[in-house]
Amino acid sequence: MKELLSIEGLSKSYKSIRAIHNLHLLISEGQSFGILGPNGSGKTTTLSIITGIIRQDSGSFKWFGEEPVSEHRKSIGSLIESPHFYPYLNLEKNLRIICDIKGISYKDIPRVLEMSRLIQRRKSRFSTLSLGMKQRLGLAAAMLGDPQVLVLDEPTNGLDPEGIAEVRELVNNQVGIGKTLILASHILSEVEKICSHVAILKKGELLANGPVRELLAEDEIIEVSCRDNQLLKRKLGSSGLVSEIEEENGVLVLTLKERVTAHEINAFAFSCNLVLHHMLSRKRSLESQFLELVKEES
Amino acid sequence: MRKLLHTEQIKLFNYNPFRITIALYLVAFTLGILIYPAIDKEIPVISLSDLFRFPDVWLFLAWITEPYNAVLALVVIMITTKEFSDHTFKTQVVFGLSRTDLLLQKLLSIAFLSLFAMLLVGLTSLALGLIYSYKLTLKIALENTWILGKYLLAAFSYMTIGLMVALLIKNTALSLITFLALRVFVDPVLWLLLRNHEIRWYLPFRTITRLTPVPDLIEIFQRKMNSAEPIDEATMDILPKGLPEWLNVLMVILYTSLVIYGCYRLLQRRRFT
Ligand SMILES: Nc1ncnc2c1ncn2[C@@H]1O[C@H](COP(=O)(O)OP(=O)(O)OP(=O)(O)O)[C@@H](O)[C@H]1O
Ligand SMILES: [Mg+2]
Repeated sequence: MKELLSIEGLSKSYKSIRAIHNLHLLISEGQSFGILGPNGSGKTTTLSIITGIIRQDSGSFKWFGEEPVSEHRKSIGSLIESPHFYPYLNLEKNLRIICDIKGISYKDIPRVLEMSRLIQRRKSRFSTLSLGMKQRLGLAAAMLGDPQVLVLDEPTNGLDPEGIAEVRELVNNQVGIGKTLILASHILSEVEKICSHVAILKKGELLANGPVRELLAEDEIIEVSCRDNQLLKRKLGSSGLVSEIEEENGVLVLTLKERVTAHEINAFAFSCNLVLHHMLSRKRSLESQFLELVKEES
Repeated sequence: MRKLLHTEQIKLFNYNPFRITIALYLVAFTLGILIYPAIDKEIPVISLSDLFRFPDVWLFLAWITEPYNAVLALVVIMITTKEFSDHTFKTQVVFGLSRTDLLLQKLLSIAFLSLFAMLLVGLTSLALGLIYSYKLTLKIALENTWILGKYLLAAFSYMTIGLMVALLIKNTALSLITFLALRVFVDPVLWLLLRNHEIRWYLPFRTITRLTPVPDLIEIFQRKMNSAEPIDEATMDILPKGLPEWLNVLMVILYTSLVIYGCYRLLQRRRFT
């Protein structure tokens, strides 16, 4: 796959606050890439740098394998943090300005207004829109000219549940037709539903980076106990079936290796002459995994 | 380039404070001229309406309307700081303008307003000249029209200083106050402090106002009274001499280039969040 965006050693501080530190990322064409992290982890800062709004302190990035120039941004649809338009101009005129900047025809305006269900309000001034409508206009502007790449920073911010579902569907459709998506979010389920790849940020540092299904895969976790837990623990530890064993109130909590089933554990224990008198499957939610990942070393 | 100008037009012509300020500028401009025929009735012997004749009208009008350029500079400050407070510089950059484009678009607005001011002065001078002159020959009528070029330069320089203040300070009220403080306080005070030094003629605002200097009123009235006596040195000294004209123009061009370079550097560094 062709490389779309490569970020190398990017750092940015605001006075004493370190917003991002030595960030490396590689995003390929056609990927739907999530940037996941809690509030203040540097998602917006990263997207602001790659869209030219702020300058990095050090490090570099390349769009389409080239040194970044403003021309690149004309073929990228972005919505960074909250959308900002001329408050005294109506929606149509605001979008005309964007068309002029991107060098595309005004003919695309009705399509994106339709898509964001703002067509009835096209003559309203931007300042008269509700928060959710402004957000939708931001998305409409990002879609102008049907760009191959979308960079969206928390696009569902301020939307009602129906709006959130709509936006997710819209974004999913774009991904479906082969567009590249870079999506920043602090909501795990959003990234999980939309993205194929994810980078997890915390305090400006990259914690993990890879395909969603590997990184956020649901581990199989089971609780077991028998008459001699210590013996079982030792035996399991050298069995190669589990990746982690913890003791919790008299039971062993096992994290199973991939494709290992609870049945196999039971059979293994039996082969060691240990009869399990307690066995409970305990699926760890993604949310708690994410929280754990982010909590580590804090 | 044409696209940039077009977006500026959409932004400006739909912005009420811009329309109102320009309307006020036009009103002030008109009143500022209408007041002269009114004063005229109070002064016997010499008639101010003599100043409205070709070819003096060009110089006279350029001189009396020069202060209105400050209003245009305030307009530039207003529209530039508004882009910061509305975060629309950010939007424009995100969608593909370079930081140099941002500078270019504001310079285009400034060029547009300068042309507007120049045309206004030019057409008004032409109209007054046609009304007040006895003798009309093309040669007399068109003499001194070069002042319009200097008027254009003065308006442009004024507004670029406004632009730099706006880019530096970002806040509308603070920028307006800073600009006015420079114009009506810092510049005159420096002028007074340096009154015994030649260097005072190099003060930036001074070089700009000297582009459209006070016309030689004495010479004009003497000409009117047909006194053939040559003007003696003593009367000549009443009018400030200052820098030679070419040097003055050169200094303004130099200052304006520096200011534009300053704007460029400021925009390259700005954070548009
Ligand atoms: N203009 C600024 N001045 C000072 N500090 C800033 C500025 N912008 C961001 N920061 C700091 O940089 C860090 C990263 O902020 P950033 O906005 O990138 O986080 P984020 O991941 O987008 O968070 P959120 O999920 O809340 O949007 C934070 O600690 C924030 O306080
Ligand atoms: Mg953010």
